[in-house]
Amino acid sequence: MIEALLQALINGVIAGTILAVPALGFTAIFAVLNYPNFAIGALATVGAYAGWVGNTALGLPMVAALALAFAATAVAGLVVQWAAVKPLESAGALMMAIASLAAGLVLENALRFGFGNDLRGYDLPLLRDWRFGEFRVGPQQVQNFALALAAMGLLWAFLRYSRTGRAMRAVADNRDLALLRGVDPARVAAVTVAVGAGLAGMGGMLVGLDTSVDPLVGTRLVLSIFAAAVLGGLGSIPGAVAGAIAIGVAEEVAVLAFNPAYRLVVGFVVILAVLTLRPAGLFGARAS
Amino acid sequence: MTALAVEDLVGGYAAADHVVKGVSLAVAPGELVCVIGPNGAGKSTVLKLLTGLLRPRGGRVALDGRDVTGLPPRAVLEAGMVLVPQERNVFGTLTVEENLSMGCFLDPRRARSRMAAVMDRFPLLAERRRQLARTMSGGQRQILAMGQALMSEPRVLLLDEPTAGLSPKAATDLFGLVRATAASGVAVLMVEQNALQAMEISDRALVLVDGRNAHEGPAPALARDPAIRRLFLGGRGQGRMDTTGTARETSP
Repeated sequence: MIEALLQALINGVIAGTILAVPALGFTAIFAVLNYPNFAIGALATVGAYAGWVGNTALGLPMVAALALAFAATAVAGLVVQWAAVKPLESAGALMMAIASLAAGLVLENALRFGFGNDLRGYDLPLLRDWRFGEFRVGPQQVQNFALALAAMGLLWAFLRYSRTGRAMRAVADNRDLALLRGVDPARVAAVTVAVGAGLAGMGGMLVGLDTSVDPLVGTRLVLSIFAAAVLGGLGSIPGAVAGAIAIGVAEEVAVLAFNPAYRLVVGFVVILAVLTLRPAGLFGARAS
Repeated sequence: MTALAVEDLVGGYAAADHVVKGVSLAVAPGELVCVIGPNGAGKSTVLKLLTGLLRPRGGRVALDGRDVTGLPPRAVLEAGMVLVPQERNVFGTLTVEENLSMGCFLDPRRARSRMAAVMDRFPLLAERRRQLARTMSGGQRQILAMGQALMSEPRVLLLDEPTAGLSPKAATDLFGLVRATAASGVAVLMVEQNALQAMEISDRALVLVDGRNAHEGPAPALARDPAIRRLFLGGRGQGRMDTTGTARETSP
């Protein structure tokens, strides 16, 4: 039993780290634009397909395919923002969230129309799992874990050291003061949507690498992404990472006790518990 | 020579509701002018109208003779006028160093040299350069907010109630920094509720009532004027005013 629990912990940390990539995108968009972008699931699907096309049709190596997934989803995210969300900006966050949900459904069905419902797989070599005593880890899992860590590291460096990244943090912190200091909020919003959507696309591709690609690959992630962001504190970058790892571990551990069909219940339970006990989440102050 | 000239400024938060109904003022380089008045007189609204956070409905604003009326905040900043708001005037989740660099956002190439100059002027900021702004005391945050504003080397500095919420000691220290900033050649326009102390350090004072100029003149003379003291400063009290600008005596 202890071995099974430790194996679930390992799997959970890896799954949570991958989940953290789209969760970071979701929370970054919330922090700067003040609305939950529920198109994030469909955007993750766009990334999974873009990466798949890059890898199987164009023969790109994995890192290049991941960059293509980021770029394609960044463009898709901007289209969603400008076509569906921005026109409803004056109607408030709820309307913007609903618009993003609707745009996500359109995206998801456009992909279904274009690619069909078949499961697709990346062009990957079949490798045996690595064994460490009682524990097993797949080489692909490790590669995905490393790619997710690299994506998070790049995002951290961008936010910490670049002028645009600092402007994003400034707008998220205090929009009026950022405006007074010469920041263009419209430009920052566009960069944030592109980066946030791009991260969702990378997350979708990483999940696709772990499993397979179909039109619902991102949609299945939405609840977990939202739960991770709420748990960490909506708008908090470190919170999204901590929340995603916690959700990843909780989902894997839950599978030990319940039928795997119920793993999504973990997300619902976490959202309910956080909103009841600590609405601001672990790291955030904005959700309250 | 006038750094900032404002004529008959009119505006407010809604098209039909003008909080500011005709304010005129002028500030010369190196001069410190304080704006005092009762709550609701339109003091902070004047600053928002000057910096583009609100759009004026009438009047004219000129910086060094250049018309900047109704320009957006970025253009006003580029023209050389910067505002330190009353509340939330630093980025709490950014470090001191990052806050200062945001003050030079439009001219990042000069950020390093400007930061060195600002830290030289405010050594406290150099000591705390890696500290998150939200973990600083109120007085320290006000100094950081001033430092951030001075990063852009403004010709006109607007301060909105810089001593609000500070202890008497911190308020006195901050007034000293404001005075020194003006002495360095910057034109400073300061809105302040702590009227008596503000007039003590200012060159000139402007009293606003109901969105209009009510009194103006050299600050020391206004502070001594029995009519002004009786009308607006509550005699021997702390110099705070009620919403109508009428006298409110406070116990000594």
